[in-house]
Amino acid sequence: MRRYREAAGEVAERPERSRWRAAALGDRAAVGYGLLVVGLVVISYVVGAAGWLPDDPSRMDMARLNAPPGAGHALGTDFLGRDILSRLIVGIQAYFLPGLLAVAISLALGAALGVTAGYRGGRAEALVTYLSNLVDAVPRLVLVLLVIAAFRADIYYVMLVVGITGAPAVASIIAGKIQFLRQKSFIEAAHVLGLPTRVIVLKHILWYNCAPLLIIQATLGMGEAILVETSLSYLGFGVQEPTPSWGNMVQAGANYFFHGKFWPSTAPALAILFTILGFHLLGDGLNNILESKSAS
Amino acid sequence: MAARELALTALLLVGVSLVVFVILHLSPGDPFSVLLEGQGSGHAVSTSVREALGVPTTWYGRYLAWLGNMAHGNLGTSIRTGVPVASEIARAGPSTLYLTLGSLLVTLLLAVPVALYSTSRTAGALARALTLAVYLVSAVPVFWLGYVVIYLVIHRFGVFPLLSASAEPARHGWLYGLLPIVVLGVANGTVSEVTRHLRGEIGRVLTEDYIRTARAKGAPVWRHAFKEGFLLPMTEMIAAKIPFVIGGAIIVEQVFNWPGLGRMAWQAAQDRDFPVILGIALVAAAFVRLASLLRSVIYAGVNPRTATE
Amino acid sequence: MNRLSRIAPLILTLAVALATVPALSPAASKNDGRPDGGSLAYGEYGRPATLDPITSNEMISLRITELVFNGLVGIDEKQVIIPELAERWEVSKDGRTYTFFLRKDVRWHPREGEGPKPFTAEDVLFTYNIMMHPKTITPLKVRYEFIEKVEKVDDATVRFTLKRPILNALAKFTFKVIPAHGPANSQFLTREDPFVRSPIGTGPYTVKGITADREIVLMANEDYFKGRPHINKFVSRPFADQNIMTQAMMFNAIDMLVLVNPRDLPELQGDKRFVLQPYNALSYAFFGYNLRNPLLADKRVRRAFTHAVNRQEMLDSFFNGQGTIISGPFAPGSWAYNLDVQPLPHDPAKAVALLKEAGFSAGPDGMMQKDGKPLALSLKVPIEKESEAVKRVVLAFQNYLKAIGVTVKVEFKEWQAWKDAVFVEHDFDVILASWVFDDSADISSLFHSAEIGAWKNNFGGYSNPEVDGLIVESKLTLDHEKRRTINRKLHALLAEEAPYTFLWTLTNYSGYHKKLRRVAIHPYKFFSFADEWFIPVTEQK
Repeated sequence: MRRYREAAGEVAERPERSRWRAAALGDRAAVGYGLLVVGLVVISYVVGAAGWLPDDPSRMDMARLNAPPGAGHALGTDFLGRDILSRLIVGIQAYFLPGLLAVAISLALGAALGVTAGYRGGRAEALVTYLSNLVDAVPRLVLVLLVIAAFRADIYYVMLVVGITGAPAVASIIAGKIQFLRQKSFIEAAHVLGLPTRVIVLKHILWYNCAPLLIIQATLGMGEAILVETSLSYLGFGVQEPTPSWGNMVQAGANYFFHGKFWPSTAPALAILFTILGFHLLGDGLNNILESKSAS
Repeated sequence: MAARELALTALLLVGVSLVVFVILHLSPGDPFSVLLEGQGSGHAVSTSVREALGVPTTWYGRYLAWLGNMAHGNLGTSIRTGVPVASEIARAGPSTLYLTLGSLLVTLLLAVPVALYSTSRTAGALARALTLAVYLVSAVPVFWLGYVVIYLVIHRFGVFPLLSASAEPARHGWLYGLLPIVVLGVANGTVSEVTRHLRGEIGRVLTEDYIRTARAKGAPVWRHAFKEGFLLPMTEMIAAKIPFVIGGAIIVEQVFNWPGLGRMAWQAAQDRDFPVILGIALVAAAFVRLASLLRSVIYAGVNPRTATE
Repeated sequence: MNRLSRIAPLILTLAVALATVPALSPAASKNDGRPDGGSLAYGEYGRPATLDPITSNEMISLRITELVFNGLVGIDEKQVIIPELAERWEVSKDGRTYTFFLRKDVRWHPREGEGPKPFTAEDVLFTYNIMMHPKTITPLKVRYEFIEKVEKVDDATVRFTLKRPILNALAKFTFKVIPAHGPANSQFLTREDPFVRSPIGTGPYTVKGITADREIVLMANEDYFKGRPHINKFVSRPFADQNIMTQAMMFNAIDMLVLVNPRDLPELQGDKRFVLQPYNALSYAFFGYNLRNPLLADKRVRRAFTHAVNRQEMLDSFFNGQGTIISGPFAPGSWAYNLDVQPLPHDPAKAVALLKEAGFSAGPDGMMQKDGKPLALSLKVPIEKESEAVKRVVLAFQNYLKAIGVTVKVEFKEWQAWKDAVFVEHDFDVILASWVFDDSADISSLFHSAEIGAWKNNFGGYSNPEVDGLIVESKLTLDHEKRRTINRKLHALLAEEAPYTFLWTLTNYSGYHKKLRRVAIHPYKFFSFADEWFIPVTEQK
């Protein structure tokens, strides 16, 4: 039922450097920016974890609530007089492990489903299609709200849902890829060569042929995780204080938006914006580079 | 073919209801506690409430009872308000439908020109800039964009454009119908993906061998390119992105005080109003399914080969 | 802060001077020289579940029923009991029999296509019976268990017999009367009854309907027995976002906010178009301790915490200083509050000294510990969408206690889970909550040792025979002055014992457009006097 995007049909590995050189300048810039963002995220994570911050992110200054950017607070203070810059840096941690969890679930579950559907076909494929349709049919935020109502507002529960709902997309990519490889008689050839199925699936299908696509999917999944948490923060169910997250920072700051105090919500909103942009560009650029190479 | 699709849809809806039911059943909480708010609620009281309302005690008992009612078109009644869920959904549904379809249109109005332009042979820096802009806006937190837009509107027009049936139409009242769909259309997080997908598909179709050949021969290629590279991916995207737009509607309805299903869903989630949650999940799933049925129909119409797939 | 009051509000009696005022003479119009006309749209945060006085259990519904229904007796602006549906009453010598003589000129709001039906004694009996029916789910039931029976003497006379005489029983007859011909089911009332959505009453406003936008439209009752209310139309408009609600007010989409969010007060304060009217709800906020935790069983520790928090700083920074710091378990403004007891001052040095006295000492990391065990507590808070004030107070609390070497772990829990943790499992060390009293000062369910247990209000497990004794004594005393003396003693004792860190009573502000005149507000039911409000002709537009 699904239509697949067939990219990078090459079977064997290729030297990465030549791909990079051949890529268009724009794509290189996009990937460069994306890598910069990923690098910044990682650096922020390390800096935050090590505690090298401009200020203690939990120190309150009751005399300076929602203070504008200025001396001592480069990005101003929040509704409890805490330093916004420090909280932004620490805030990325809220997404790191949960986001990776969501991505890991999407990839693992999606790969399992995709391989089953693409490799076995028949009933298995029908079942996978049914399950994918089932997951796709319920709007994700509705499902997240449902799980929160039923259990508790924990970021890991939320990311579990995000991970599961992300799986069908991964599955369809992989199933499509396998179909494509079948058309090229690659899989049959491998069987004829006497390779065990496990090796074909894990090494040749997933690793050689799907890894770049999965990396792209992973970066997008990370962006999704941030956006979902932000929406939930607005509804009160995101990461809870005193742990900072970009989402709960935007939410808390937005309470003062109409008072003309824009900075407490704008700083984290822009952080979200440029980070997700980075993820998108990274995915896009990688995709283009891989595709242009395969087309040439 | 049609019968099979319908049967599949029915099977999916049953699946959705079962999943929702099981999740709710696993929940440690008691949905009837909302009725007992304000009195010293205890388990004794809660049991008497269940008896008073005639609720089966086992979860599958409740599920079967619910399925039985469902077969008669009865979705049960809201625990919180006592109103039949079906009529509540019928009341709030159109607002959400308007919001969802309207914002999808906005999304496409943004994504399609950018995608088309960036695949044209003359595309250059401007196309990149546009793509970048589209990617940027699709990552805006939707409620924050709502605040920004409302702030701009009230300070530009001096009027808070509030939807109201009881008051005489306010100045700039039309804004109220427009703002939420624009905000949701821009910031539902799907613009970037729609753009990327369309651009990729158009690009792929245009590089197909026989298109190149046709072009070389000077034959018109736009018909095929339109069908394969534009119509199909677009229906594909619409069908795939509707769930995301519905999710965004939950937020936008809160910000814009929009009386739709999203607000109902949020309220119901807070109160653990199970019949309402089930009803909304089901209607949303049916809607999503409808979109993919529509996609199948268009596929079959455009390309009879896929109908047999 | 009022959102905290989702904790089962204490519904108690009103204690006021029981002066009886002569019945008003009925009039079709008020003839008070004030103009009729105009409309008022007010904003509410959330939607009411039902609109009848029996099944509803939240404030939004309560405010609407105040406009639509009447009780046998009412309360005037000075908190004095006045006749309403009953024009007079007699109380037997032993205080067990209350006979109400009903007005004969009251008619129910007419239903579409029907004529208005008269209000009679049958309706009073009907209301009582439906309220007490086991299948009716209502928070009112427990309030009226003191009634033994109700009889109809004749069409205009009802007699209530009490199980035992109680103080201020008259105030309990403010319950709203519903018509016998109202509900579809005449035995009991559920939320599925159409009556709960389109109720008819005797009050100044009739429910015209609920619009597609879920606004509740109320129209003036031309036939109201106290005279037609001045304002033609009330519209209750639901909002899902408090920031947006305030903006709607600022930009003229609504005329009134029942309760202005404290953070928005400065916005409205500076604006000449609006009036901010304070009203003192009988409520207060507190940190409640779980005395089952041996660390907290020592009152010196609890007093140390109270000394550690700077209540004035929180009140000033978070609530614009709009409130009163309290010292004890009664709401200030109630007759039982003991003004002689002063709140403990902010004094971190004293707090540390108290902790040391209790056997704690600063460990190597600077945090307080005893026998190698650190003084670490969990503070549980329910999650709410609009919970900024709660977040601020608990995080500030965390900060203040950190300053004296105490670790507080703040844990936000979903509402029902929080209630389970606090009221059933008693799995918490500290909570932040508030009590709302509807009219009186009965704190027996909060601190009496018989109230310890699942779903009971003494969640902290506070037990003190002296307090128990005073509570019982206060309950049994029918003399108002004596009771006051006992309650003052109780206040002083509980202030000393500090089972809670008592915080403050916030001043609630209603904000409204200045076109509204003669606005008097009931601190709990809000719209009790709304039939007297008016809008000058020039501003009716």
